[in-house]
Amino acid sequence: MSPVSLALLVLLLPLAAAGFIACFLRRRGGAASFLSIAVAAVIAVGAFALALGGNRFEAATEWLRLGDFAFSLGFKFDDLAALMLVIVGIVGLCVHVFSAGYMHDDASRGRYFAGLSIFMFSMIGIVLADNLFMMFIFWELVGFSSWLLINHWFGKPAAAAASKKAFITNRVGDFGFLLGIVMCYWLRGTVNLSELGAQGAAGHALFSRAIPLLLFCGAVGKSAQIPLHVWLPDAMEGPTPVSALIHAATMVAAGIYMLCRIEVLMVPDALTVILWVGAATALYAALCAFTQRDIKKVLAYSTISQLGYMVAAFGLGSVRGIDERGEVVVVAAGVGAAMFHLTTHAFFKALLFLGSGSVIHGCHGEQDVFRMGGLASRMKFTFATFTIGVGAIIGLPLLAGFYSKDAILALAYANNRGAFAVLALTAVLTGIYMLRLWLVTFFGAPRSEAAGAAHEGGFALGAPLAVLAVLAAVGGYFGLHPGAFSGAFAGVFSLVHEAAGAAATVILATSIGILLAAAGIAFAVYRPAKVSAAGDAVEASAPGLFAALVALKESFDRVYDYYIRKIQQRLAMLLNFIDIIGLAGLLIRGGAGLVGMVGLGARALHVGKLSSYVYWFLAGVVVLWLFASGVL
Amino acid sequence: MTTDPFDPLLIAIAAPLAVALAIGLGLPKRWSVRLAYLGFATPFLMALHVWWHYSAVPKVHGYAFLTEHATGLSGVGITLELGVNGIAMPLFVLAGLVGFAAGLCAIRSGAERLKVYLMLLLVMLSGLMGTFASVNLFFFYFFHELALIPTFIMVGVWGGRDRVYAAMKMTIYLTAGAMLSLLGLIAIYVKSGARRFDMIALRDILAAHPLASGSQAHIFGLLLFGFGILVALWPMHTWAPLGYGAAPTSTAMLHAGVLKKFGLYGLIQIALPLLPAGALPWGHLLAGLAVFGNIVVVGLITLAQRDVKQMIGYSSVMHMGYAFLGIACGTALGVGGVVLLMVAHGLSVALLFLLSTNIWQRTRTLDMDEMGGLARQAPILAAFFTAATFASIGLPGFANFWGEFTIFVAAWKFSHCLTVFAVLGIVLSAVYGLRAAARIFFGEPSVAFARAAGDQPPTDLSWTERLPALILLGALLFVGFWPQSISQSIQGVLQTGIYRTH
Repeated sequence: MSPVSLALLVLLLPLAAAGFIACFLRRRGGAASFLSIAVAAVIAVGAFALALGGNRFEAATEWLRLGDFAFSLGFKFDDLAALMLVIVGIVGLCVHVFSAGYMHDDASRGRYFAGLSIFMFSMIGIVLADNLFMMFIFWELVGFSSWLLINHWFGKPAAAAASKKAFITNRVGDFGFLLGIVMCYWLRGTVNLSELGAQGAAGHALFSRAIPLLLFCGAVGKSAQIPLHVWLPDAMEGPTPVSALIHAATMVAAGIYMLCRIEVLMVPDALTVILWVGAATALYAALCAFTQRDIKKVLAYSTISQLGYMVAAFGLGSVRGIDERGEVVVVAAGVGAAMFHLTTHAFFKALLFLGSGSVIHGCHGEQDVFRMGGLASRMKFTFATFTIGVGAIIGLPLLAGFYSKDAILALAYANNRGAFAVLALTAVLTGIYMLRLWLVTFFGAPRSEAAGAAHEGGFALGAPLAVLAVLAAVGGYFGLHPGAFSGAFAGVFSLVHEAAGAAATVILATSIGILLAAAGIAFAVYRPAKVSAAGDAVEASAPGLFAALVALKESFDRVYDYYIRKIQQRLAMLLNFIDIIGLAGLLIRGGAGLVGMVGLGARALHVGKLSSYVYWFLAGVVVLWLFASGVL
Repeated sequence: MTTDPFDPLLIAIAAPLAVALAIGLGLPKRWSVRLAYLGFATPFLMALHVWWHYSAVPKVHGYAFLTEHATGLSGVGITLELGVNGIAMPLFVLAGLVGFAAGLCAIRSGAERLKVYLMLLLVMLSGLMGTFASVNLFFFYFFHELALIPTFIMVGVWGGRDRVYAAMKMTIYLTAGAMLSLLGLIAIYVKSGARRFDMIALRDILAAHPLASGSQAHIFGLLLFGFGILVALWPMHTWAPLGYGAAPTSTAMLHAGVLKKFGLYGLIQIALPLLPAGALPWGHLLAGLAVFGNIVVVGLITLAQRDVKQMIGYSSVMHMGYAFLGIACGTALGVGGVVLLMVAHGLSVALLFLLSTNIWQRTRTLDMDEMGGLARQAPILAAFFTAATFASIGLPGFANFWGEFTIFVAAWKFSHCLTVFAVLGIVLSAVYGLRAAARIFFGEPSVAFARAAGDQPPTDLSWTERLPALILLGALLFVGFWPQSISQSIQGVLQTGIYRTH
């Protein structure tokens, strides 16, 4: 099988599966889950075959032509796409298998697995797309699959509201994304990624900044960056495996992947904006995580924060530095660091989410960590894998997150000390809130009946945790050894910036310092003896600080809510009123201008009788006929 | 001219008319209904035939299936010339598809005086097929009126709330629009000196001897506002939501889905090619009204709607803004996008009106605040409605995406600022579309609805209800995944260079 047809198979198979399930297997949940998992397995195998097979190819076919405008669909399969495809394949398969256990008793399993398959189709489309038009199509489709899966339990008003919010917030980002694509098409003459790469960044001063920033709007929506991050915490209303796959590992990372795809369009000003949006998001979301009691919401804010890390890493990319000899050099390492962290994050965050799913499953639906406790002894396997995930995210040496976070910190240290300070502070906060989550959930005495009776799930829940735990432990190896897997991902990982000399010492010291500080604070504040079911230790001891954090967290939602209810909806009502009373009643019927006069004339001719219109029309035809034949 | 005795266009026009005549002559009700199936299915099959064979059959002056039938008025240039070019073909197919779906819905509607209702609907369908199959301007207009008059009657007699007022208002507006456009058509006829009404001759003559740009602009203005009223150009749109809210389902499907496209079709097929210089001075006014009026203002108004049908009606007015924007661009890309959007919008709005009636049959209300949670009892209905909503808000995979997307691309070349506001529409439509789906189908049912549903639990869509919806949804997905299925014929016309390239 040629690589192109294999890629085509990997892309279309999940679509076919989703269609088949929607048409024939809606009520046969078992068969639907089997089909969907089988397809996910084929995708994972296909992804590895494509990535390690060594073929890097481009292929395109024209799909629509109107006038001079041509729209094509095609694949651009380079090392970047190979890496992303493998991530999607592995995490996708793990989540599919996990879902088989987690959703076993759900009456709408068919719809759920059809949704997962639709998602795989859409996500793989983004990964393989060779042009921005095509990427936009699949970009919208992942938004749709996200909507579908968040809305899975549509009877819950919160789920219905969250799915709507997710889609609309993403559409706000896509508004900019689409404008950026259209602008790119006309000003650069193409939207093909390779052709854009050949052109390099240049052109009109205003538009060369506008294009990357508008495209970045798409990433702000999809990757939940400030100010469009509000949808992601709410999206936790969806089933937990969905949160792991879509709202942690893959879809939300698509924004960073897209940025790496359009790296050639970047100009320094745009990168600076991207850097600070990412850094602000990383810090802001880390602070918000402290206010959460829901295990999934803590992880959701953590995801936002980590995505901010990746975006900041990308933004650091082209910041120019000065080397030892005093020469200006471009440190083009943003793509490498961002994708490295994206990779390790996909593994450890999927692990953490699936672990939280296992916890929720074990506690019969309980999601409040303050009503858990003591799970370390009752759910030993989940505890062990979750601990690896926590270790990875807080940067425990030798685990994956340690290396990718250091790569970003090293880049920041080299290029922008301000960003370095923000990101280091974020890392400390990350350590504290993750250890808080870990301590409160797994240690101390059980604080509810459900936690006391907690139990492990079966094989379907355990196996994916094991796979992801291994990857979260060794995932850092890729970045350190770009030549691994016969260099399949070298195109990405060779870009990872490694600190050398004094900088390396500083980074290592910072990294260890971060870890020690975080661990010290976390163990002091959240040690099991201090935790009660009533609430957070910080809330009890420093209510002012806690209230400030809550206010910070809610500020965006408050503003948007005010805008929607007080401004947008009132404007809509006002316009509606004007439409009914003003336009319909006065302007048009009042007969201003030619239109009104004809309207009045017409009305005069048929007062209350529709049928008279027929005669009138016939009379008109006669007049026309007389006129045309020269009688008149 | 083909001499093949099998003329699918004539059959598509004549079959529903003949069935209507037979019913009118007093056929018993049982036979009327059976014959009505034939009357609605024949244009559908002919439309599929035309679509399937379009690329293979020989074209005369760009028209396929071209035939001429004497009318006794050939002295003044009025002959029944039938044919479809690449722009007419997709709309002819649209009319066949929506006509069949609307017919199936009407036959099962159990309306009072069903025979008369079906008769009027068949006449309307005949007119629709004729409009898009006519090469002669006289018949183009004649068939439009043939479809329009039954619309008024059906709204006035079989309509819902406010039907008399709605019918009156529709009549006034649409008559005014039709009169203005008729004036424009006559002006073209007179000024060209062609003494012929057929578009091919007019196009040749006006290409050789273009009108003075001043008179082109005047005539274009007449056509623009005449056709504009018919398509609900802001601020002459208020008839539309009111009329559709009151109209019986099948009528709303056929009018909003197909007949309304007459105005856009006229602008594309007649005004732009025959009066190329006349379009320029109107471009910015038209685009401004379309973007700020139809897309932004009406988009916001749609947010305020509580009634499902009003919401669909306003959203349909909003989507016409994209179409007007594409026409204002006047370029090949813009025009091509409008044709794609016309087909897509026709299918999706017909589907939404159809499903909103299915909803009403289960909830006995159209007020979205009084519903909620219907997806539990009617998951298939929820899936169809959600799919139709996503289609109408331009999700890729549905036909509407191609239309909106290409129009946005075309619009940038016309005006950067207007494009920004036009693209804002994708956010507005997502808000009202998803909000409606959520209020009707998801979350908890309202107290009133829960009580009503407790007495008599709503059932899901039956297979006979699903069939018309499946036809429309299938077509939306088909074009959505495979746009060449209609864009190739459109491109055939665009390639001839009758529209600007920039």
